[in-house]
Amino acid sequence: MKPVSASPLSPSVKVKLLNAGFLTSEELLQLKPLQLSKEGGLSLEEALEVQQILREGVDLPGEGGAGLGSTALELLQQEERSIVTFCSSLDAALGGGVPVGKTTELCGTPGMGKTQLCLQLCIDVQIPECFGGLGGEAVFVDTEGSLVVQRVADMAQAAVQHCCLQDQDAEQRDALKDFTTESLLGHLYLMRCHDYVELLAQVQLLPDFLVKNPKVRLLVIDSLAFPFRRHFEDLSVRTRLLSGLAQQLIRMACQHRVAVVWTNQMTSQLRGGQWELVPALGESWGHSATQRLLLHWSGGRRLASVFKSPSQSESSVAYSVTREGFRDAGPLASSPSGREQDSSRQSESKQDSSSQSGSKRPRTQEGQ
Amino acid sequence: MSIEQLELNPRIIKAVNNANIGVARDILKFSGPDLQRLTRLSASDVHHLQTAVAALFCKKPPVSALQLYRGECPEWDCGLRVSMGCPVLDGVLRGGLLPWGLTELAGPSGAGKSQLAMQLCLSVQYPAQYGGLGSGALYICTEDSFPIRRLKQLQNEQPSLRSDVPPDVVSGICFSDNIYVEHAADLGALMACVSQRAPVLLAQGRVRLLVVDSVAALFRSEFQADQGLERSRHLTAFATALHKLSASYRLPILCVNQVTDVMDGDSNHDAGLRPVDSKVVPALGMAWANQVMVRLMVTRLPGAVSMGTQSSARRRLEVVFAPHLARDSCLFGVWREGTRGLPSPPTQDASS
Repeated sequence: MKPVSASPLSPSVKVKLLNAGFLTSEELLQLKPLQLSKEGGLSLEEALEVQQILREGVDLPGEGGAGLGSTALELLQQEERSIVTFCSSLDAALGGGVPVGKTTELCGTPGMGKTQLCLQLCIDVQIPECFGGLGGEAVFVDTEGSLVVQRVADMAQAAVQHCCLQDQDAEQRDALKDFTTESLLGHLYLMRCHDYVELLAQVQLLPDFLVKNPKVRLLVIDSLAFPFRRHFEDLSVRTRLLSGLAQQLIRMACQHRVAVVWTNQMTSQLRGGQWELVPALGESWGHSATQRLLLHWSGGRRLASVFKSPSQSESSVAYSVTREGFRDAGPLASSPSGREQDSSRQSESKQDSSSQSGSKRPRTQEGQ
Repeated sequence: MSIEQLELNPRIIKAVNNANIGVARDILKFSGPDLQRLTRLSASDVHHLQTAVAALFCKKPPVSALQLYRGECPEWDCGLRVSMGCPVLDGVLRGGLLPWGLTELAGPSGAGKSQLAMQLCLSVQYPAQYGGLGSGALYICTEDSFPIRRLKQLQNEQPSLRSDVPPDVVSGICFSDNIYVEHAADLGALMACVSQRAPVLLAQGRVRLLVVDSVAALFRSEFQADQGLERSRHLTAFATALHKLSASYRLPILCVNQVTDVMDGDSNHDAGLRPVDSKVVPALGMAWANQVMVRLMVTRLPGAVSMGTQSSARRRLEVVFAPHLARDSCLFGVWREGTRGLPSPPTQDASS
C-alpha cells in the first residue's frame, strides 16, 4: 500500500498524520473517521476528507479504462463469449447464446417462461470452460418474488446430470467434481427489491459488488417492468429514471464484461381499432437493450422470436419448458382439430410477413 | 429518511441541503451529472453520496441461492407451503400455496372457488408441520355475503377431512375465532380494507392469509366499457397495495376471479393466460395478469363422481402459470367435509 508521504493529501494534513505515527494509507482507511481525527490530531471534517481522497483510487470504476482507444479490429479479435440456453435452436438463432458484454431483453406475457429462461442462464453461465461454458457466477435481482429456490435446485440438478453424461476426458471429469447442485446454488447471488427505489439503489451498488466478485458473468433483473408499472404522477419522471437505469446497466455490461438480461411485460394497446400486444415501458425503452427476444404462443407451441438484434436476423424458434428447465421443443404433436391447424398456419404467415416487411414489429408508445 | 443521518462529510450534506433535493430517496432519482449540477459537488463526492444513500435502502447483503436452499434466510423463503387440505390438490401445487405473493383462483360460477378459499382459511390455522402457518385468515367478500353456514359445516367435518392430523390438534383449534370476515361493497371500501384494516390484524399476528373473493366483481361493475384506462389505474393501485401487504408481512394472498369468454379474434393474445383448450379466460385482462404470480383455474366438467354415499359434480383444478409448477391438473369434487381431489379414475354415474 502507498505510504502517507506519497498520497495526494494537503501538506499540512500530511505533516499532522506523519507526526501522529501513520505510515501507510491502509492504516488511515482502517479507522473510523472519529478515531482518525482523535489520533491524527485532525478535525472531523479533515479526517472525512482524507478517507474520501484515499478511497477514490479504489472505489471509482475506471471511467476511461477498458474499451476506449481500441480499434474495431481489436474488438473483433477479442473473444466474444456467449451463455448457452440449453435450447440449441435458440442458441443458433442468437449466434451462440446470450452475449456477454451486451444487454438482452426478454418480453412476453405471464407464464411464457421468461423467469425460467433467466434461471436457466444463471445455471448455464456456471458450466465449466472445458465443457464450453464460462465458468462464471451469476447475480439475480428479484423484484416480483417469482424466485422459488426449489425450482432452481431442480434445474441445477438436471444441468449437472446433463454434463455428467457428456464427460469425455480427464479434464472434464476433474471439473465435474466441483460442478454439483450445491456449487451451482452457491455461486448464484440473489437480491430482492420491493419497489423501484430499492431497485435503483441496488443497481447503484452493483458495480462495487461486481468489482469484489470478478467472476460474475451474468446479471439478471426479473422483472424490470414490474416495479415501474405503478402509477406515476408524471410519466416523464418514469422515462427519465428508466433511461438513467438503462445507462447504468449498459455501462456495467461493458466495463465488467457481464451479460445483462432483464424481463419486460406486455401491455395491450389499441391500434387502428385492434388491440395489439406490445412490450411495456414505452417507446423510448425499446432502444435500451441491444437485443430483444419475444416469447409468445403460436398455434399451441411456445415460440421465441429475436426481434431486435444488431447481428442476428429476425427469426422464431420453438422451445419448451420442462421439469429440467428451458429446453428445445419436443416433436410437434398432431393437433386434434382442424381449427387449431388453421390458426397456426395464420400466425406463421403473419410472422413471415413481419420478418420481411418489419411493419408488424411490436411498436410501443410513450405513456404505456 | 433524512440526509443528515448519512455518514458523509458535512460539506457534502450542506451542499445537498442547499440544493433543496428533499429526502434521501429523491437523490436516487437523479443521475450523477444532474446531482453535480444541482449541488456543485465534484464527481467523486457525488459518487460517495449516491453510494451512501443506496446503502440506506439495501440494508440486507445479497444471499446465495444455497443459503436460501438450506433455509438460512427464513424471511425470504421459509420453505413452507399452505396446504389445500387434500394430498391430491397439494400434489398439483407441489406442496400447497406459496406463503408469499398473489395467487389467483379463477373460474366460472359454481366451479368451487369459494369452497377452496374457505378450505384454505381452515387449513392455514394448523401448525406448520401439518401444512398450515399457525395463524388465522382475513376473508374479504365483495359479492354475496359470506357463506357462514357452510363454513360451520366445514369446521365440524375437519376431523374427517384431515385424517392426517391427530384429533387433539384438530379439536384444539377454534377455527371460527381465527377467520375475520369483511364485506366491501365498493372499491373505496375495498381499498380501505386492504390499506388500513388489514395491516392492523397483520401487525397483531392474528392473520397469515388474505382472501379476496372476488377481485373482478367490483372492477367490472364500477367501470363502463370505455373507461378502460381508469379501470386499469385503479386495478394497478389495488394490486400495488396487495403486493405491499404481502411483502411487509410475508402474507400469501388468494384472489378469486371471474372469467370471460374468449373472443375468436384474439385467440393468440391471451393464449398464455388460460389453459390451452379453454373457452374462457380470467377476467380483468393483461393488466391484472401481469400482477399475479400463480394463476389457477377451476372448471366444472360434465358428469358426476361419487364417494361413499355422496355424489358431486366433476371439477378440475389446473395450473395455468406459476414460476415453480408445471401445467398440471387434477380432478376434484366438493363434498360435505370439503374439497377433495380424485386420485384415480372416478366412478362415474350416467354422464349427461
